[in-house]
Amino acid sequence: MPSEEKGKRSRLRLIIGAVTAFVLVPLFIFLGMTVWNDRKYYIVSLIIIALSMVPFALRFEKKRQTARELVVLAAMIAIGVAGRAAFYMLPQVKPIVAITIITGIAFGCESGFIAGAMIAFVSNFLFIQGPWTPWQMEALGLMGFFAGLIFHRKDGRIPRLIPLLVYGALGTFIIYGFIVDTSTVFTVYSSEVTWKLALSTYAAGVPMNLVNAGATVVFLLLLARPMLKKLNRVRVKYGILEE
Amino acid sequence: MRKDAFGQTHPAVELFFFLAVMLITAFVLHPAVTGISLAAACAYNVYLRGRKALLFTLCFVLPFILLIAVLNPLFNHAGVTVLFYLHNGNAVTLEAVLYGIVSACMFAALISWCSCLNAVMSSDKYVCLFGRAIPVLSLLFSMVLRFVPRFTARIGLVSAAQKSTCPEMGKSPVKALKHGVSVLSFTTSWALESSVVMADSMKSRGYGLPGRTSYSIYRFDSRDAVLAALLAAFCVVSIAAMVSKRICFRFYPSIKYSSFGALSAAGYAAFALLCLLPLLLDILENVRWHSIRSKI
Repeated sequence: MPSEEKGKRSRLRLIIGAVTAFVLVPLFIFLGMTVWNDRKYYIVSLIIIALSMVPFALRFEKKRQTARELVVLAAMIAIGVAGRAAFYMLPQVKPIVAITIITGIAFGCESGFIAGAMIAFVSNFLFIQGPWTPWQMEALGLMGFFAGLIFHRKDGRIPRLIPLLVYGALGTFIIYGFIVDTSTVFTVYSSEVTWKLALSTYAAGVPMNLVNAGATVVFLLLLARPMLKKLNRVRVKYGILEE
Repeated sequence: MRKDAFGQTHPAVELFFFLAVMLITAFVLHPAVTGISLAAACAYNVYLRGRKALLFTLCFVLPFILLIAVLNPLFNHAGVTVLFYLHNGNAVTLEAVLYGIVSACMFAALISWCSCLNAVMSSDKYVCLFGRAIPVLSLLFSMVLRFVPRFTARIGLVSAAQKSTCPEMGKSPVKALKHGVSVLSFTTSWALESSVVMADSMKSRGYGLPGRTSYSIYRFDSRDAVLAALLAAFCVVSIAAMVSKRICFRFYPSIKYSSFGALSAAGYAAFALLCLLPLLLDILENVRWHSIRSKI
């Protein structure tokens, strides 16, 4: 059966993607510790982050995509970047993570990763680019990746609200918060990274991460259903996002 | 933004320059090397962006350096030269202070180089460089860059229209949030629908057909080749000096640095020339321009 085979292949691609994120990256961290034992934490971690994004990019390239799918994805990424303009009255609140999660749900895990990474890259491209950009790309990319992995359905079913909110809160707090705080650890204490310093930095990051997680939950609560409905409408009307 | 001679060379040369400078800066923690890099980056940034970069350097980069320079000795007590003791008995050492300053300068240099990179490398240069290797992603990138200002303008439009129908919107944070969500929602509907029109236009112009190339105005000419060779030579000399430990600086446990010799002098000179190359090109171009003009 061709459709069954297609499903198998997409599952295989998915497994390869997960292996890259969970096996290859720790392997390079280990190599960095043994070969580069010279207090070059920052540059080693930067190389690892860059390496971990390459497979995603290549797999995204190999995927056959129509112009419509690509442009709709670009539109969602641009909404993620421009979205903060709608909340100019609440300067601390940005819907970036929520829109990444919604994009991941609608487009699947690979496009979710690309969308998250691209949102982070373009926002930094338009504001201030810095050594923290790769970390933000990786963090947002993984948020989109896992959203697609958990919630993406071929028939475009909208996920139940409670699991989605739980993912939004825990994901923002644990995945996004951890990765971005790690970049702080490497930037500020680049010389002597100890467990004590790292833990104190993570502890100092808790309030900010809680605010971010709360914002993501609120935005998912308000935006997830209408946004996914709109994306479903576009997909039915124009026949995109269908395997 | 000023007219920049370096920005008119081939994108590959520009990317090579930025990668080389930023990698050497990130790898080699040495007061002189980091200082050269930071000074060149700030100078080039100010040349490119003028007063905006000066403000950026003074209001963002300088406090950042000070913050890390103060934080490092407070948390890091390695090193043998004790300056004084904190009230909790921890030592503040000369090595930690110096390390903090140098590593902060390193990050400041990286941030300033990133700022220069953003000014020099426009999106069409990325598409020119990566259009063949990752065509889909570079197309996506350039589309997003086009969409963002368009959507931001649309969000402003929708927001103004919404406000005129309901003036008390945005008075309280909850109302501001609701207002923002509805504006974002309307803009998304419009964005998705209008982007499909764009996709159809792309398709009718042959997107995805085999043998289709992307337009680029950049040509790798002999001037670019000379510049690339110069860059490569500077890189080789400075990296050779660094790898052979002629340019070397150890912070912990005690400060120790390599003695000054012929190779280390060549290494410093090569790295300084490497960092200043865009500025030198610009100065050369300006001199040439004025000398030609005065003859007329």
